Amino acid sequence: MAANPLVLLSQISKRFGATVALDAVTFTLLPGEAHGLVGENGAGKSTLIKILSGVHRPDVGTIEVAGAERHFSSPRDAIAAGVVLIPQEMRIVPAASVAENVMLGQVPTRAFGMVHTRRMNEIAQTVLERLNVAIDPRTRMDRLGFAERQLVVIARALAHDARVLVLDEPTAALEAREVARLFEVVVGLKADGVGIVFISHRLDEVTEISDRVTVLRDGRVVETLARGSFDKERLIQLMTGRDLAELRRPHALDFGAPLFDDKSLVLREREIVGLAGLLGSGTTELLKSLYGDPCAAIARKIGFVPGERAQGLVMGMSVRDNIALPSLGRQNRRALDVLVARLMDALDIRPRDPSRPVRELSGGNQQKVMFARWLAGDARVLLLDEPTHGVDIGAKAQIHHLIRQFADDSGGVVFASSEMIEVLSIADAVLALKGGAVVARLDRTGDYTERALRAALGG
Amino acid sequence: MATRIAPLPVAASFGSRLAGQMPLIALVVLCAVSAVLSDRFLSTVNVTNVLLQGSVMAVIAIGMTYVIISGGFDLSVGSVVALSGCICALVMVRYGMLAGIVAGIATGAVVGLINGLIVTKLQINPFITTLGTMVMFRGVTYLITGGHTIIGEDGLPAAFDDFATDRVLGIHKLIWLSALLFAAFGWLLHATAYGKRLFATGGNREAAYLAGIAVDRVTVSAYVWCGTLAGVAAVMLASRLQSGQPTAGEFYELTAIAAVVLGGASLYGGEGKLYNTMIGVFIMGVLSNALNLLNVHSYWQRVAIGLVIIAAAGLQRFRRR
Repeated sequence: MAANPLVLLSQISKRFGATVALDAVTFTLLPGEAHGLVGENGAGKSTLIKILSGVHRPDVGTIEVAGAERHFSSPRDAIAAGVVLIPQEMRIVPAASVAENVMLGQVPTRAFGMVHTRRMNEIAQTVLERLNVAIDPRTRMDRLGFAERQLVVIARALAHDARVLVLDEPTAALEAREVARLFEVVVGLKADGVGIVFISHRLDEVTEISDRVTVLRDGRVVETLARGSFDKERLIQLMTGRDLAELRRPHALDFGAPLFDDKSLVLREREIVGLAGLLGSGTTELLKSLYGDPCAAIARKIGFVPGERAQGLVMGMSVRDNIALPSLGRQNRRALDVLVARLMDALDIRPRDPSRPVRELSGGNQQKVMFARWLAGDARVLLLDEPTHGVDIGAKAQIHHLIRQFADDSGGVVFASSEMIEVLSIADAVLALKGGAVVARLDRTGDYTERALRAALGG
Repeated sequence: MATRIAPLPVAASFGSRLAGQMPLIALVVLCAVSAVLSDRFLSTVNVTNVLLQGSVMAVIAIGMTYVIISGGFDLSVGSVVALSGCICALVMVRYGMLAGIVAGIATGAVVGLINGLIVTKLQINPFITTLGTMVMFRGVTYLITGGHTIIGEDGLPAAFDDFATDRVLGIHKLIWLSALLFAAFGWLLHATAYGKRLFATGGNREAAYLAGIAVDRVTVSAYVWCGTLAGVAAVMLASRLQSGQPTAGEFYELTAIAAVVLGGASLYGGEGKLYNTMIGVFIMGVLSNALNLLNVHSYWQRVAIGLVIIAAAGLQRFRRR
């Protein structure tokens, strides 16, 4: 390779308790390179970028930046070395000006520590111009939309002399037009020699912008591919270890009686309906409105699994009590114990200890406890919000299996996911949501592809 | 994304079980030290005294445990003790013993209901709500008594005064009563579906709501229990004082909260054991009793008790890490 790598991560391993998050991962980033990082939930992408940006420390392995070995003990150290992480949840000061946000932590001062406002605005203006972004530095930060805030945060990184930018799902909440603008910025940064690492679930974008792509699976690097040797199908295959066709739910045409007939959607027995949309598109709100009053919904045998497990589980309570929560007092203790034991076996909830507080379980097992709760109550309709978010790949496959099994047993499922591949492979029909409204319905009788779904959501 | 939690060893280790009994160990150590430092500590008179004083506080602390487990807070119990005690005495003087007792307890229940409705319907922070009702009902107490002790022209009925001194099997009826309430409310909290709902509501209100639990009703019930039990404690105290006193119950809310904290319940709700609260009550009781026996000046006593509360809370935090 012509250029010396800007970043060299060698043989990085990281464990969290008994879980191996990264296993001997080696990763290089060249100057002026956009390097895509892809993998399913739990593949280790987040852990890798957190190690690169000083949030976590590796158990084993070395980090070199521009040829020098570094030991980051905090994000501060990484920033000092020129490595800046732009997380999904951006750190901004909403009530301060754009300039103050760009210059956060290095505000220019005059005598007696007074802020040199004019100079601050000038520097911020210069950095924003370098990004080709027309935002008045005196604007209050909270006047800006999400996409603009993101550009301000990138400007801040540049004001800190960043040589490596790490973008975690930068496009998750962006519309097509905003994605295009972000990519223009990325191309400009590349020309300046900045190295860019970015995580994305949107493989179209990854293939469009990346010079190289590294695929992670189960904490290991499957392959690093150079431009020209990857396309979307290939990436999916490497990420999942399977072909897309295999992931698809076998098409079951014989849907039963309607379980749900709402103005926004019809759900029949044995049917799985997916909800797709960008962050804030209203998928969560739609699920909640379908659920409505919990007491009434439970009486109609409808169960709801919220997106944040913290919203659905009482973490300090035992697995047994969490499963029994909707049916408290309606079952005698012994019958409940038998039921809980059966469900824990069926769903493979580990460890197999019903008195264990839920907080001590892994994310995937916590999610299964939520399922068990509604299966215990003989639910006929499940409303699931991001059911596989933040669970590892094994648990993800088990949850997919559970969803299908539930539908095959004459249940109906509505589930929202920000992963389009997941929605398309699990669901029989997909509703595309935008701005809180359903804008399109796709099913297998028509064009049922990621391209069609993206077209429905984008623009 | 990959922040997964390690599976823990299946059996709780001896160390963690020991840590669960921290309040009890602290109480035993405290008693042992007190017995060594003062030969009067283990005398029948003194032990009875500690138990008698603890019995009123224990009843208040039961209610406080309910409210705190439900995710709330109640600063008004001290004022309820004064108001309920005075209303109990006022009614008793006019309409007899039974009417007085019922009126005293009912007053507590009504104040609890008011607290609960303000917290749930107006959605005002429990701390602020009960700070308000604490001050307000203390004022009401002074208004209806004119600041005077309520004792009636011929005193309260003899049967009522005797209740505080009567014994069954050599043990005061007051102590029996609080032990009985402890058993009943311990069962309700730890063995019934209602108890689980209370824990779930305090542990994660959103999750409890989504699971179909009527979280507002559960919350109100906790405040009603707390008020009612403060009413019962007020009647017990009036019997001991043979009068209704408008100054009664000052700082009781703080002692009760301290006892709950010493017992290891989480002030964020959802965690706690009634049995440990009782230990907490007696840690507070034994501590002040021992300091008295050792002739520690009452000003210093307050300093010492304050330090113990902070140290205990600090230890709990350390243990949870």
